[in-house]
Amino acid sequence: MKKRKMFLRMITASLMRRRSRMLVAFLAIAIGATILSGLMTIYFDVPRQMGAQFRNYGANMIFTPTGEDFTNEDLESGLSHIKSSDLVGAAPYRYETVRIHEQPIMAAGTSMEDVKKTSPYWLVEGEWPAAAGEVMVGQGVAESLQLKQGDTVAIRYTEETEEGAEEEAADNEIDYKVTAVLSTGGSEEDYVYMNMEDLEELTGLAGSIDLAEVSISSGADQLNSYMEQINSEVPSVDARLVKRVTASETTVLSKLQALVLLVTVIVLALTMICVATTMTAVVAERRKEIGLRKAIGASDKSIVTEFMGEGMMLGGLGGIVGVFLGFAFAQTISKHVFSSSIIFRPGLVPLTIAASILVTGIACLSPIRSATKVDPALVLKGE
Amino acid sequence: MSLLELKHIYKIYGELHALDDVNLKVEKGEWVSIMGPSGSGKSTMMNIIGCMDKPSKGEVLLDGVDIARESGKNLTTIRRDKIGLIFQQFHLVNYLNALENVMLAQYYHSIPDEKEALEALDRVGLADRAKHLPSQLSGGEQQRVCVARALINHPEIILADEPTGNLDDANEETVVDLFHKLHDEGTTLIVVTHDPEVAEVAQRTVVLRNGKIHKETVNTNFTGKIRFRD
Repeated sequence: MKKRKMFLRMITASLMRRRSRMLVAFLAIAIGATILSGLMTIYFDVPRQMGAQFRNYGANMIFTPTGEDFTNEDLESGLSHIKSSDLVGAAPYRYETVRIHEQPIMAAGTSMEDVKKTSPYWLVEGEWPAAAGEVMVGQGVAESLQLKQGDTVAIRYTEETEEGAEEEAADNEIDYKVTAVLSTGGSEEDYVYMNMEDLEELTGLAGSIDLAEVSISSGADQLNSYMEQINSEVPSVDARLVKRVTASETTVLSKLQALVLLVTVIVLALTMICVATTMTAVVAERRKEIGLRKAIGASDKSIVTEFMGEGMMLGGLGGIVGVFLGFAFAQTISKHVFSSSIIFRPGLVPLTIAASILVTGIACLSPIRSATKVDPALVLKGE
Repeated sequence: MSLLELKHIYKIYGELHALDDVNLKVEKGEWVSIMGPSGSGKSTMMNIIGCMDKPSKGEVLLDGVDIARESGKNLTTIRRDKIGLIFQQFHLVNYLNALENVMLAQYYHSIPDEKEALEALDRVGLADRAKHLPSQLSGGEQQRVCVARALINHPEIILADEPTGNLDDANEETVVDLFHKLHDEGTTLIVVTHDPEVAEVAQRTVVLRNGKIHKETVNTNFTGKIRFRD
């Protein structure tokens, strides 16, 4: 029999046949590994989860034209640089001043389906405009013009012309049905929103847009990378980050990740203390056995190897159990906090097991040092 | 040259002389008993011969090497290679079975050999109990496992400290018979005992008192067989 086989046989026997004694240490390691694995899974998944949450608070990138013309083709060209899995939505906007009851109001033409993706926080009372001839008015507009859902409103567009121009200015008025009133708590409440086609029909101007709001689910670094790439490769588009959104997202994320890391470190330290305490008790309990091993020829190195082997096997087993319990733990947290499933990260399996073994190894150092100091002549003394 | 020679050995703890100018020679293949009351220095002498302690003064020549001058690491090697230890409390590893306990000595000495360990257990009549844990063995059986473990590496000396102290008469006889067999095979035996019946079985009995050799007697009627008194 090879020495290694006997070594494994000894440490396995020690753990299996003394399992009631080793249970406390095993539980400490398994719980520590569970929390480590769970928190690390959350740590790496938080940007994705929080990114999705943050997307509820509106777009985080704005496309504006660099020159005169900015069309849907330019928008598509800009969006082509963003991974489709990261792109939540992109809503084009064109603004024109119109008149309702002779009052100047800003009308925005957009794609309602895209706005639903980029601005999920909009509180829409009524039905989103879908068919031609339907509009949504902001709360501010509704209050000042006494408009409500179901009303018909005449919207007039008069083209502003330069003084002395020879061409006749466009002047058009169309009736629209108010299908919804929009509340956002922001400047959007002072706008009238309609589908792009309706605005083009009203103004007689087609093809161009003023800006696009883009919602991208990714971290700050990736966002910056997208921005730089679009600005350098799509000359007609000036892409900018919505600092108010991206900065707060980065701050919250970094604080949350720091908190998760801190808790992980504390848990690992507590695990280490618990394992060290248990192993100290184990060494004290096995002083006679250590003395005997030394008496029959074990060197200090052998004693260290055997106890470290036991500790590391315990750490490995605790780590394996912790990997799976940790994923279940992270999944439960994710479902309760983010209402979505977490992604299993295979890279965390070796990391958790290695960390468990390392923590157990460090925790065993002091007890093992005391084991090497056992004097066989003293502990084996007859009664 | 004697296998073991103690020359003017002292072991001093403060004012106490646990061993006080002890001189002793043990020849290869000899069976020596060491007797004496508690505190006479038997255990101290055992620990020194067993390389688990060093004398304060004097020389301990084992196979010509002065083990009193060796480092702790070398003493571990000498103990592993030359000495087989048997204890009163058996001291078996409680989570290893009988076979594994014997193999443990092989593991530290050289290479574990299950077949050879099983043969050693067979020599002490315990081949059929090889897979039993110490808690499943009687005191006598545990001591026989201890004997098998002591002889597995073919040591120069078997050092037994009160080997029959925890055994009944039947098991005491079994263990002494084992010693007799080992002696017949040429093994050197040093047996520390309180029991005159066990001491008298040896070829020579050394009596310690107050750290000194008080008396040495040679058993002219040596048979290696125990004779119980009524």
